[in-house]
Amino acid sequence: MPHRQNLYVLFCGVILAAIASAQATARPGYDINYIGPPMADPVMQHSKETYVLFGCSYCHGLYLVARGEATDLMHSRLVGSDENGNVIGPLLRRGIPQTAKLSPMPQFSDLSDAQIADLVRWIHYARQQGRFKEVMEAKDAGAGNAAAGKAYFEQKCGTCHATADVARIAKKYDAAALKAQILKPRALEASPSWRLERLKDAKTAAARQRHGALLENYSGAEVANLIVYLQGMK
Amino acid sequence: MVFTRRDFGRLALAGLSSNALAQTAGKPNRSYINGVQFGLQPFCYHDLAMNRENRPILIQRLVENGLGMVELHAVWYEPNFAGPGVSAEEAREKLRNWRLNPPAGYFRDIKKEFDDTGITICTVYINVGDSFTDAEIDATFEGAKALGAKGIVGSYGLAVAHRLGAFPGKHGMYASLHNHDNLSDPDAFSNEASIVKGLAYSPDFTATLDVRHFTAGNGDCLGFLERHHARVSAVHLGDRRKNNGRSTPFGEGDAPIIEILRLIRDNQWPMIALLEFEHGTLRTGVDEVQLMFDYCKRALA
Repeated sequence: MPHRQNLYVLFCGVILAAIASAQATARPGYDINYIGPPMADPVMQHSKETYVLFGCSYCHGLYLVARGEATDLMHSRLVGSDENGNVIGPLLRRGIPQTAKLSPMPQFSDLSDAQIADLVRWIHYARQQGRFKEVMEAKDAGAGNAAAGKAYFEQKCGTCHATADVARIAKKYDAAALKAQILKPRALEASPSWRLERLKDAKTAAARQRHGALLENYSGAEVANLIVYLQGMK
Repeated sequence: MVFTRRDFGRLALAGLSSNALAQTAGKPNRSYINGVQFGLQPFCYHDLAMNRENRPILIQRLVENGLGMVELHAVWYEPNFAGPGVSAEEAREKLRNWRLNPPAGYFRDIKKEFDDTGITICTVYINVGDSFTDAEIDATFEGAKALGAKGIVGSYGLAVAHRLGAFPGKHGMYASLHNHDNLSDPDAFSNEASIVKGLAYSPDFTATLDVRHFTAGNGDCLGFLERHHARVSAVHLGDRRKNNGRSTPFGEGDAPIIEILRLIRDNQWPMIALLEFEHGTLRTGVDEVQLMFDYCKRALA
């Protein structure tokens, strides 16, 4: 029996080594340890590689954890106010020559619109992933204030969501699950598809964009307030 | 390194003290290529966190790239006291205390790590600033000296340089002024006038001309070297585009890399060419450094 176990371990080892080897040799010189394995969504993978290739990651960090004096894109208000590159795009093209920092943000005047769209897509994706983790793990968000949550709901959510619908959804989850659902509604977490009916589903695309923008700008306290308010609607 | 009488005359005329001349004493090593001593600014290995725990990997990578000289950032050997529950002020104070009281033999042991693999630490890169006490600046020079470095270099401005001028001579070393491309800050080293102004503060100052930033600030690298080579101890060799443009792979920007290398070679200038890049790449740091180094070797072939 020990002999069979050893063979099994050896077999698994060979398979794992083959997978690792295939990954490492798939693209000679490709820095898989830094850039990471290919993502499921090739469009996002391309955006990520564009972000690396133009040197953004060198200062701003691959996952927006800034190095040195570079702007913290994870928490930048400017990035949080961007819609489809309307703020980031012009800034990339002109740079920030007037600054108190040692190295001004360079100008990337030769970028195409498509390249800027790629960079913007990655910045927002990475920011949403990072903010989700940050808010989910926040320990100092407080107990929450229902009145403040109600005011936030009416201002930011009420234009799309009826109170009764949200009350019904809130009943299905405990506080932690509700928090995750507020930050990243599962209904909007679809795998990438190029089927025409998905591509032309403008309503879902708009909802995804809206929730993405909210996720990028939520504070821990705002989410805590929303949870208390929504749970009180039961 | 060949140090000619002509160079000596120029250096002397420029007012450099004998301490600063010590920079030229290093012996050529494995990355001395056709008259140019190459080294590395090791934050090029962007896939390797810069801390003292990773120093063995840094050394291994330098050897892999065939480099025998390095400008070592202090973070590769100084402890990092920052962490959860430690305020920035507390961490800074702990670092100051550590600098003033380093463990016995600490620097000697690190120097041996590099010596044993044939790597010379030419300079230590450390951003001396207002938070440094005088004793801390002295300790910084002593630490760098114990590592075998001839000088320190960092990203400080004119105000800090003015204060720093009295220190390197006390330790038989030099301090080097490193430029960026911030043309809007009157304190920054960014153009020829600001570097020349800084050099005048002390005979123990040299310039580390950052070719990438100087080019991005629309500076004339070749003209600068022609006029001030006697005060230039090193160049940070990389590529960028003009007009505050972006960093690029070697040969794709506006920096005259090939011309600079040939100037150094043909004039036998005792300045170190430190490879450096900030452009993006999907390749590993080792692969990218090798590409840059090979580009330079071809320029000197």
